[in-house]
Amino acid sequence: MTEPFNVHCLLMCLFFYFRDRKEWADLEPVPQDDGPNPVVKIAYSEKFTDVFDMFRALLKNDEKSERAFALTAEAIELNAANYTVWHYRRVLLQALDKDLREEMKYITAIIEDQPKNYQVWHHRRMVVEWLKDPSEELQFVSETLSQDAKNYHAWQHRQWVIQEYKLWDGELEYVEELLEEDVRNNSAWNQRHFVISHTSGYSDPAILDREVQYTLKQIKKAPHNESAWNYLKGILQDGGLSSYPGLLEQVTELQDTCSSPYLTAFLVDLYEDALETNNSSYDQQETLNKALELCKLLAEEKDTIRKEYWNYVSRSLQNTSACKSEQCQTPSSHMLKHAQKELYSK
Amino acid sequence: MLTIVFFALSGLDVLDALDVVDKPSLIEWIYSLQVLPTDDKSNLSRCGFRGSSHIGVPYNSSKGPGAPHTYDSGHVAMTYTGLACLVILGDDLSRVCREACLAGLRALQLEDGSFYAVPEGSENDMRFVYCAACICFMLDDWSGMDRQRAIDYIRRSTSYDSGIGQGAGLESHGGSTFCAVASLCMMGNLQEVFSERELKRIRRWCILRQQNGFHGRPNKPVDTCYSFWVGATLELLDVFQYTNFEKNRSYILSTQDRLVGGFAKWPDSHPDPLHTYFGICGLSLMGEAELQKVHPALNISVRAFESLRRLHEAWRQKST
Repeated sequence: MTEPFNVHCLLMCLFFYFRDRKEWADLEPVPQDDGPNPVVKIAYSEKFTDVFDMFRALLKNDEKSERAFALTAEAIELNAANYTVWHYRRVLLQALDKDLREEMKYITAIIEDQPKNYQVWHHRRMVVEWLKDPSEELQFVSETLSQDAKNYHAWQHRQWVIQEYKLWDGELEYVEELLEEDVRNNSAWNQRHFVISHTSGYSDPAILDREVQYTLKQIKKAPHNESAWNYLKGILQDGGLSSYPGLLEQVTELQDTCSSPYLTAFLVDLYEDALETNNSSYDQQETLNKALELCKLLAEEKDTIRKEYWNYVSRSLQNTSACKSEQCQTPSSHMLKHAQKELYSK
Repeated sequence: MLTIVFFALSGLDVLDALDVVDKPSLIEWIYSLQVLPTDDKSNLSRCGFRGSSHIGVPYNSSKGPGAPHTYDSGHVAMTYTGLACLVILGDDLSRVCREACLAGLRALQLEDGSFYAVPEGSENDMRFVYCAACICFMLDDWSGMDRQRAIDYIRRSTSYDSGIGQGAGLESHGGSTFCAVASLCMMGNLQEVFSERELKRIRRWCILRQQNGFHGRPNKPVDTCYSFWVGATLELLDVFQYTNFEKNRSYILSTQDRLVGGFAKWPDSHPDPLHTYFGICGLSLMGEAELQKVHPALNISVRAFESLRRLHEAWRQKST
């Protein structure tokens, strides 16, 4: 509840129970039945029991009426996570041909109050689908994101609306606004990738380079930002980090002023790519040594919390290269102990 | 409600304190939540377990057919936690209508491979893929889902940063990454679905989640429950051993409530069953003294997991 406690107490005293209302006298309330030995006993308030006893009665008869519709709002106020109540409300919205524009206002208010509830966002999506009207959605989601720029439900709804109704225009600009406000907003970086991969794509070298330059610029502004580095790597790794022209130089240049564990790890990955692809522009032995040196730097200085991991990466790099020179079979991963079929399935 | 009972029960199991519980009564109550096939079997696609008795169906501890009710259906997370609780309590699942549960599960899978929670429709995402995988695994029967479609959904949910989101295009997240990786492990397909290079990248994404405790997404604050979601994923990928145990343990313990006990997501916050359970599991992954080991994919104690395996052996012998 959102009202202060003393107001809440007053409202409870003033609440006119459904079981006492004459317009409800024909309906026999249905209590919850947990059998002779209820092991889980929740101390519901009297108001809660009253509302839900009546809800169960309506449900049993599958009653489709205005009073049923009104009661769902009471039930939702008490527990907005009860998916059966929401489903029933949707059945009533259709059976009673209710005004869906009014319902949009209703669900808007509920989401503002409880923006991290799954059922309310799902309900909004259903109403938008019925109305076939997404025109308020981007604005509504922006407002929610202005309260919490990383609300997963909000972003999920936003992606659904954009993809379903092809509302790609202006979204890249919106993402850039958010990144201006907080360059570390990982959700915004994700959205950037979402928009571009569904519109221009990354195969045009001009676009790819634009994105690389944009990301490097953001890195210069805030070097210790995992999101930016993940984006940079993500858009380039399929083409091979070691083959992207000028990349090694551009990143190495940043080492003095924009050092971070992410930069160092990026170089390790770039060198690993050179080794894996046997990139002729790189001296294999020297590249391996550089990679090992950076792993050591990470383990001992730049990312000590992951020191055991960086030592493990070092060992893997060494094993892979040793295996190559001895011409043994590709060191396929030993069977992960939790991936063994015998342990799990028939 | 059944999910909360699971947190409490499995938590007690990991604490090796199940003897405080009235097992037979709890088993009866859980069975009373099963949505049973009606006499005419017209509701098979709605079978499974309910979360609670909240819609007012008369009490029936799975002895006899179900009472028809327009709005009575199972919920995938309740079917999963219901079965898990029965296994933890040492029940032999003999009152579970396996065929009905599996039919109910098949009815929930969408074309894209993900699952609804309920047949009436709901949101669909990686959480319910995991619940579905657990159900098939516990019932030792993968006819409950189209595995290839589920695998495709998982692959399409992998982000550019190699973490896994709730669905295609969505931000990678520690919870959904766990759901995806654990599901693949239970299917026995992890190393077929992801190449060694891809697995390396997933490991890197996961291991970067450690700040002291773990967070669920880059640049977000840490939260006790991710010590399990991400920790267990790293364990499934064989690299949990390379994380910093002291910092992780220190963080989890700092979220303990000194007055009422339990764990919260952050220090000086209110504890709740979910964070308490996952705090305990997070510690168990590190071999914390006096805690039972937790199975990192199925998320029950290894002891409960072994009793499940014995049950499966008995079933398989019976069918041969």
